[in-house]
Amino acid sequence: MNVIVRRSANPRPRGRPSRYLLAAIIAGVVVVVMVANSVLDYAFLDTIPGRTSLYGLMAVALVALATFVGVRAFDRDPAQRSRHLIRAGVLLGFAALLWLLVSDAFLFASAAGPVVAAVCAAACIPTTAFGLFVVRRIDRNEKEPWRLVLVSAAWGAIVATSLVIWGESFWEAIAVRTLVPGPGLDATRAFSAGLLEELGKGTAVLLLFLVMRNEFDDVVDGIVYGAAVGLGFNFMETLTYMTNVYAIFSPEGAGAASAGFQWYGRQVLGLFMGHATYTAFVGAGIGIARQLPSRRQKVIAIVTGFVVAIAAHFSWDAWLTFFPIETSVLGLIEVHLRTIVMTGPFTAGVVALLALGLRNESVALTEQLRREAEAGGGAVLPEELEILTKPWRRFRERLRALDRRGVGGYVRLARLQAAQLDLAMERWHRERQEIDEPLEAEDELRGRIRTLRQQAAF
Amino acid sequence: MVAIAQRDPVVTLYRTLLVYGLFGLIILTAGLVEFLHFEPFGVTTGAHAHIAGVYLYDPATKETTGPDRSTFTRSELFAAVVNWSDVPDNITVQAIWYDAFGNIVGQAGPAKPGDLKDHRVVPAEKPTGLKYHLPGQYIFAVERLQGDQPVEVLARRLVEVERT
Repeated sequence: MNVIVRRSANPRPRGRPSRYLLAAIIAGVVVVVMVANSVLDYAFLDTIPGRTSLYGLMAVALVALATFVGVRAFDRDPAQRSRHLIRAGVLLGFAALLWLLVSDAFLFASAAGPVVAAVCAAACIPTTAFGLFVVRRIDRNEKEPWRLVLVSAAWGAIVATSLVIWGESFWEAIAVRTLVPGPGLDATRAFSAGLLEELGKGTAVLLLFLVMRNEFDDVVDGIVYGAAVGLGFNFMETLTYMTNVYAIFSPEGAGAASAGFQWYGRQVLGLFMGHATYTAFVGAGIGIARQLPSRRQKVIAIVTGFVVAIAAHFSWDAWLTFFPIETSVLGLIEVHLRTIVMTGPFTAGVVALLALGLRNESVALTEQLRREAEAGGGAVLPEELEILTKPWRRFRERLRALDRRGVGGYVRLARLQAAQLDLAMERWHRERQEIDEPLEAEDELRGRIRTLRQQAAF
Repeated sequence: MVAIAQRDPVVTLYRTLLVYGLFGLIILTAGLVEFLHFEPFGVTTGAHAHIAGVYLYDPATKETTGPDRSTFTRSELFAAVVNWSDVPDNITVQAIWYDAFGNIVGQAGPAKPGDLKDHRVVPAEKPTGLKYHLPGQYIFAVERLQGDQPVEVLARRLVEVERT
């Protein structure tokens, strides 16, 4: 029986590609920067964020370890995979819990209290989950694994926010002591937020691109991972702002209203038009680089993605005050208009790249499926072409399987369709010479499809 | 038969991204220009002001009490005391309080230092409609103005208003 280790774009390389070394270097730099920042923060600032930085290191170390174990899970044989994934999940869970406890204990617990923090977190979980669901669904041809989408969001929420706290604390400490207060200082704060936050978030997408190339096919995947990182970051930032404003305004009797306003602004109005949009640009740049032939073009695409993300983020932070919000009923309209006017064009830009990417992907997959059917190997049948090339038709077929053979039938057909699309994606990458080595896995995948077809009884 | 070379659709994506990148660079350049406008290089005069300290403030008497402090609770009223006599009289200055959100919450000037001798005490006001100061780091700055625009900080104090 054939065992498929790889089911996506690339075969298992015989030696580690150089990108793994680059990923290890980037990860090492991130860890060193975080440790150095936290120690310096604690030593020189001696503020509450400084203490949070130091004690939060344990959580960050757990996330790093969980990521490492999680990535190993994709490189080991299927028998060991679930064990690695469970370990990674447990470590991530501990890290998230520890980080929340540290944040809560040192930043807000004494003022907002753990109950308020828990309520705020509970309010943000459904909206963020909805955002992740939508973002994953938009990749209609080949959905990314939940594992990687959730790891992206966790990195955005925990690692990126940690990097930002330390970096921005330093930037702020220097800026308020040297610059003239007012618009100039505000502009540097906006540069700080745009630069540090997008670098912190974008590093996660870059590491995914370098380590998980098999699940990083094109611009669509880049946008999905980038937006997921942004949603994770937005979750933690919303939690921080909600508890913060609650603590500030509760003595005035307006704590809940202030926290509720933050929730609406960040988890409803700004769920997609905010961090998700900014980091989606980073992902788009990396996704486009994935399919470019020359190294020079790849570097330019990645840098350009970062530049657009930083600029979009900067423009919001720096020029927000140009759109003041009145305290009357008119203010409710102005809040929405401000987000649409300031972030809407960037979100539209991401949607345009996404639409182009989806169209390219659909055209390519249709062509590859047609060629596979013509080759007559049995992996794709001519009568399946119409179904496989249309997401809605695929779904209807799965519903028919559900009706005739129950949940098991639905799942088996879904696996078969996913494997057929993986094969088409693999053919596409091979044709474009976007793979590390020639594909032995392609034949294994065909064998796997034949097995799945028998299981699905089609 | 004439073969027509098809353009790689990824190139279209790449070029679209480059156009976005150009807009991004324009935005960042505008931000840099904004920063340089409000933080111009080479305009320092070498003048310095002396902030005697930041003290508890009694609005009834308009006097300060107690020792110089750098932290206050939200309910405490506080004010900075400036020695205007140390500042050259040929420049326009203002003393100004910014709260942790960047709002101006207290001000003396703009005027010539000689005209501010009756404004040595500059209190930080609570925001309108609120019972307490907002928590966080407050900046008190004595600034030199060029036209209407502050261009140089002659003295600065940072004060922490505690959350509780």
